[in-house]
Amino acid sequence: MGEKLRITRAAELRTLGVFRDFIDAACKPRGIDAPTCYDLKLAMDEACTNVITHGYAGMNPGSLMLDLEFDPQQVVMTITDFGHPFEPYEPPAPDPSAALEDRPTGGFGLFFIYRTMDHVDYQTTEEGNRLTLTKHFKKVPA
Amino acid sequence: MAPDPEELSVSQLIGDYALPISIHGINGLPDDAKRRIYRTLIPSSLLTRVGISPITWKGPDGNRPVVLVAEPDKGLVNLSIKDSADATDVFFCVELADNAFNGIDLNLLLLNDPTSPRFRTDYDDASKPTYFGTVRRNLAEEERAMGAGLAPGQIRASLSASKLFFQQLDTFLSFLSHHAVSLEPLTYASAWVFERRGFAYMRGHQLMDDIHREFQPGGRLHAALDGSTPFRQPDQWRTVRGRAWAIQDGILSVLGTRWNDVRMVKQVGHHAGVNTFPDAAY
Repeated sequence: MGEKLRITRAAELRTLGVFRDFIDAACKPRGIDAPTCYDLKLAMDEACTNVITHGYAGMNPGSLMLDLEFDPQQVVMTITDFGHPFEPYEPPAPDPSAALEDRPTGGFGLFFIYRTMDHVDYQTTEEGNRLTLTKHFKKVPA
Repeated sequence: MAPDPEELSVSQLIGDYALPISIHGINGLPDDAKRRIYRTLIPSSLLTRVGISPITWKGPDGNRPVVLVAEPDKGLVNLSIKDSADATDVFFCVELADNAFNGIDLNLLLLNDPTSPRFRTDYDDASKPTYFGTVRRNLAEEERAMGAGLAPGQIRASLSASKLFFQQLDTFLSFLSHHAVSLEPLTYASAWVFERRGFAYMRGHQLMDDIHREFQPGGRLHAALDGSTPFRQPDQWRTVRGRAWAIQDGILSVLGTRWNDVRMVKQVGHHAGVNTFPDAAY
């Protein structure tokens, strides 16, 4: 069983910075390489922004929980919320070569999550909406 | 998905142990079976400290001061206890109900110290019920209760047994294969207690953060502690109870809101780690 860390904050945009710092502070002492740490922050940013802007839309925002579990070869990042379910299905890849006016609004966030993470799972239960993101990594030699 | 309550049977109990069982399902069982199951909701030490048997629910005088209401065809259970047959108030009461999402709600939890002084905050001057001060208020009694260290909604001092109860509730929910319980905290003080017991917010986390921020010196709630009523004294921002009484008194109107629509959830076996009032004094 890996080492587990948790932080819980209100689902609001200022929480993103707190979560980014939390991921940084968790990764560095455990020798997680910088690109992995960056990808975790990127995926967290995109997923949590969706929850904040869509999941809790129209209500006084509840909690956002960020869990990190470190195994020898991978980190499992779980984001739990209690808002409206918002399943981050894998979108078609955006076409960056298309003219700006022809591109749909948004869509890059989920694309980034699926591109940067090795496994994505989403479940809605009585415990809340739980997005589980798994990322394999290489340890930085001490 | 919860099973059809009518189908709850021994064969199901020995079948898929991961399938959640509803309160409605338990209520359809024979009385003795219900009693065996719901007995696990009451911490034994709460009963034995007033001489009630945790098994038979009989008190020292042979009466049964534990009342179980678990009607068939209803997804609600209410358990209440008096410390003696002639007591007017219950000192323990818990009410659980099935919710629309196949989960379970904690509708009510009362943990009152029966030996502590009684305050008539639950009735107004005309003897109409105040419903914990949510519908009407008995200002004189509330002021006395506040002075005695009670929080809004309380008629007596707390039994200080919420930690014990929630450990018991976790076990009960595991037995039913439920993963969480949700509730609506009556007051700011009760929300703070539930945070300490491991609850997170389905709604209202941002409100709790706003309250904490605005009670700091320079904040709008801090400024509204102007001594205009007994419940808005300048030092009240420092404590959970002080804030709770000011909120009971309607101070959130300066933020354009009120204490409403806060909902919390506890995951069985997990502590959410929420703390919206760091280094709080109760």
